[in-house]
Amino acid sequence: MTDTTLSTARTEKSGFFTLAALQKAVAFVVLILLLAFFSLFAPNFAAWNNMVNIMQATAVNGVLGVAVTFVIITAGIDLAVGTMMTLTAVMAGIILTNFGMPLIVGIIGAMASGAFMGAISGVTIAKLKIPPFIATLGMMQIARGLALVFSGAKPLYFNSTPNYKYISPESSITNLIPGLEIPNGVLVMFGVAIIASIILNRTIFGRYVFALGSNEEAARLSGMNVDFWKIVTYSLSGLICGVAGLLVSSRLNSAQPALGLGYELDAIAAVVIGGTSLSGGRGTILGTIIGAFIMSVLTNGLRVMGVQEEWKIVVTGVIIIVAVYVDIMLRRRA
Amino acid sequence: MPSTSVTDSVLIKAEAIEKRFPGVHALKSVRFDLRPGEVHALMGENGAGKSTLMKILSGIYQPDSGTIEVSGQQVSISGPRAAQALGISIIHQELFLMNHLTVAQNIFIGREPTRGMGMFVDEATMNTDAAALFKRMKVNIDPKTEVGTLTVARQQLVEIAKALSFNSKVLIMDEPTSALNETEVGHLFAVIKDLKSHGVGIVYITHKMDEVKSIADRVTIMRDGAYIETLDAPSTPISKIISMMVGRELADATRADGTHGREETLRVTGLNRGKFVKDVSFALRKGEILGFAGLMGAGRTEVARAIFGADAIDSGEIKVHGKTVKINSPQDAVGLGLAYLSEDRKHFGLVTPMSVRDNITMASWPRFTSAKVWMRDPELKKTAGKYVDLLKVKTPSVEQETRLLSGGNQQKVVIAKWLLRDCDILFFDEPTRGIDIGAKAEIYKLLQNLAAQGKSIVVISSELPEVLRLSHRVIVMCEGRITGELDGKTATQESIMTLATQRQAKAA
Amino acid sequence: MKKILIASAFALSAATAFSSAAKAEDIYFPIIAKGFSHQFWQAVKAGAESAAAANKVTITFEGPNTEAEIDKQTDILNAAIAKKPQGIGFAALDSQAQIPALQKAADAGIPIVAFDSGVEGDLPLTTCTTDNVAAAGAAADKMAEAIGGEGEVAAQIHDQTSATGIGRRDGFVNRMKEKYPKITIVDIKYANDALKSADDIKATMQAFPNLKGIFASNEGAAIGLAVAKKESGSKVVAIGYDSGKTQKDAINDGTLLGSITQNPVGIGECVVNSLAKALKGEKLEKVIDTGFYWYDKANMADPKVAAVLYD
Repeated sequence: MTDTTLSTARTEKSGFFTLAALQKAVAFVVLILLLAFFSLFAPNFAAWNNMVNIMQATAVNGVLGVAVTFVIITAGIDLAVGTMMTLTAVMAGIILTNFGMPLIVGIIGAMASGAFMGAISGVTIAKLKIPPFIATLGMMQIARGLALVFSGAKPLYFNSTPNYKYISPESSITNLIPGLEIPNGVLVMFGVAIIASIILNRTIFGRYVFALGSNEEAARLSGMNVDFWKIVTYSLSGLICGVAGLLVSSRLNSAQPALGLGYELDAIAAVVIGGTSLSGGRGTILGTIIGAFIMSVLTNGLRVMGVQEEWKIVVTGVIIIVAVYVDIMLRRRA
Repeated sequence: MPSTSVTDSVLIKAEAIEKRFPGVHALKSVRFDLRPGEVHALMGENGAGKSTLMKILSGIYQPDSGTIEVSGQQVSISGPRAAQALGISIIHQELFLMNHLTVAQNIFIGREPTRGMGMFVDEATMNTDAAALFKRMKVNIDPKTEVGTLTVARQQLVEIAKALSFNSKVLIMDEPTSALNETEVGHLFAVIKDLKSHGVGIVYITHKMDEVKSIADRVTIMRDGAYIETLDAPSTPISKIISMMVGRELADATRADGTHGREETLRVTGLNRGKFVKDVSFALRKGEILGFAGLMGAGRTEVARAIFGADAIDSGEIKVHGKTVKINSPQDAVGLGLAYLSEDRKHFGLVTPMSVRDNITMASWPRFTSAKVWMRDPELKKTAGKYVDLLKVKTPSVEQETRLLSGGNQQKVVIAKWLLRDCDILFFDEPTRGIDIGAKAEIYKLLQNLAAQGKSIVVISSELPEVLRLSHRVIVMCEGRITGELDGKTATQESIMTLATQRQAKAA
Repeated sequence: MKKILIASAFALSAATAFSSAAKAEDIYFPIIAKGFSHQFWQAVKAGAESAAAANKVTITFEGPNTEAEIDKQTDILNAAIAKKPQGIGFAALDSQAQIPALQKAADAGIPIVAFDSGVEGDLPLTTCTTDNVAAAGAAADKMAEAIGGEGEVAAQIHDQTSATGIGRRDGFVNRMKEKYPKITIVDIKYANDALKSADDIKATMQAFPNLKGIFASNEGAAIGLAVAKKESGSKVVAIGYDSGKTQKDAINDGTLLGSITQNPVGIGECVVNSLAKALKGEKLEKVIDTGFYWYDKANMADPKVAAVLYD
């Protein structure tokens, strides 16, 4: 064995062309193809205001997807993201409407309550050694139940906080660049994605997330405080759910306590389509955002085309399976 | 091609088998044959290519080139099912049984007899057939027992029965006695002799000389992926087999020089954990290489894991640099400058999908951050590069995924990780397992250099030449206890083996 | 199954013991709804509770988590039967699947009153319900009037399979087809929450630029409709169903033209009153229509209408 045999296998720049990058590229190509397809076959699809529709429809799922991406890279799962989102929306409603506190307190309260619930998931997983699937399945119900209890099973309205609509449906950027009417919620999603991407790729926490997901035992034997970082991961996931809670309640100008069930599966689907491996250790935030866009382009496009609701669900299922199949094929090749 | 008259009496004939893995030339034009009714021992050091060859014969790997004949017919064994169809069964060192199913269900898994137009499993027939197999083997196992409740020895018999149920003419056994006690070994040999008399050919992979002498008809020796020779087992002296295996006379093996400091870096007193660590006490000095020898299951790995905090201890005292410490987790151990390098690098040592850079720096990440948050990647890269040069890790770049490196280079990455972490008490568990021979020498030199630089090193190894070559002192364990301590200069394979088999007299 | 039954009966009795120290001679009616988290059911509950107070009976009000959990609702029903109440109020999630369980109650001589949606056959003494078809038909009339009797319209329906979803969809669609030949229904979409409804409706608006009107079949769909209309700046005529603060506000600010409300309070009262009457041996109508109202900016303040609207 010599140096040359190895160096022919991979070049110096191999770090840039990793598997995750490759699959992200695949997802991106799929997205472009879908956009092209619908532009050709769905009249009125390609209009700019419909692109805004799609972005707005992506925001909540995209943010939830980012939340669960961290957890999935650690080889865990968070089934509670949907109902935690609802609970954080309810918390915002209680703080702003029932207690009449300032907007910023509501925003912080929503995110803090999400982080708190996430931390509880993290503790049950790390300390009580309950498998993530079970622990977050429980948390999904707990958050749902608490959302109903705290809200009195009634929607909470934000009429007393008129600025609340600036979180999602209003467009502030249009004041700077007239004509560019992108709702704030979409910018929030991109902002969350960029920050999350920096956290994942540039911080020691992000590095631990990958190490945990690739080989938890090796990470532990390297002296890493595995339990602590797991709790941090689930807390961060909960905190980001809080952002999603703000987005959804801002857009509906109300916290709907019964909403949220099933959102976790859409989020996980976006993550998987975006090339993050459910077995952990691999994944990107950009991939997840692309995955979320693929889902909403599909939904919007099929609707604009007039495809029956039932078939839309079938097609989404097919896309998920195809995406994971491509993932497996690429991994086998490498 | 040999004449047909010979092939008639040969079950398997493999010629010029070549197999390469990334970075390793695993088999170099190897040949092997097996006759009906014989026990053919296959011997060689770890990494000699025995397992690879057997995996090719049982269809798990495909050879790069070479021919295989079964009963005179040239065949290509495309997979385990194809091997079974040809009458070849393999019994792995780790048994592949489903603990929650019964003995009979395990034997007939995937081909259960059915009734009611194939809708229901015919448990009764299955149990009768299994009972018939055991009767043929002259052993007494109830087919309705759950496999998980059986001893390892009896589980092995279930595997043999399963192989027989395929009408196997060739049975490959990979170190079948490694987990058995003497009585159980006796039983197994009786079954093997019985199979022989029925014309079954048995390939017997082992490290144990006495077994070869007592059961094998012929022995084939492999070394570094190459075929060395096939000899008549009863008439060949053990020393000749050993020298062929190691490729040199044992007496010539380099010994560790006996210079090391007197300062005690680690002292363990009365350590207990479960049934594998019983009242273990020893001391380790600065600059010393301390060998831990013993058979599989002697408890050496368990001692290391217990000290390292990977498994909770029941009792015992640990002193590091003279201070009594409490180690509750690997994190604590690393903080005290202890490092454990597992034999199973892929599971416990490396995060293989991550880069060489990340693996080398992993245990030291907090040191490479700004404001305790931001990773200073350029610095990581520079430092990792320094260690890659220092330990001569062969990798095209520090950004290379670690899984693409050869075993020896992976081991160096793990060593680099702990050196960077400033660990000065290093536990090496089978440091050269899965590493080819050239790289082994390099690892040995590296360990000796580390000791010379004042690191304290524990080497756990099943390869006696390795223990003898590296150790200043040798501690031998058997069944969780330390059964003796030998001076590295005077220890011999025999003296170690005597201690390694020194079982406690069974009280009850 | 039996184990579950006993367990849930135990849970139920524990729950009631907790909520009201029920005495043995008290008259007790368990009222089993399709859910409890929806505003609509809270209003039904309020009606049932006020009627319970008037009739001096004890009630419990419960339901499954979501309106898809038919099996959970059947478990709740079984548990209720096991308590041997003097009557049961039941809003069947499935008009046929739960007949065997109800038959058990009938066999035990427990009077059954159905509400919200019917049960096939003659097991219930009566059914307290809104005529969904007629109500949605009224919405179609209002829509036709507002768009001048011609053009393209669409419907956003909350569920494809439930009786209320089917009834409201068919009531709206059939009335359009029968009475307004110049109006075409170009799109019918289904989504079960406000957020998804909003995105759906925006896609519909995109696909049909000439759309004149959209009908939303429940509170969630109506919220989605209001959000979609505001976000897109569309001028379509929007008509909702049920009430809730968002919908009321949207009617007040002109986003929604108006809405159909059922009489949930009346439904709740009807259930308990009917059970009480049955206990006294009074004869009951097969179906009691609890009525519906069209409400818009003009009549929202009307006390008769305001009474049945909820926030």
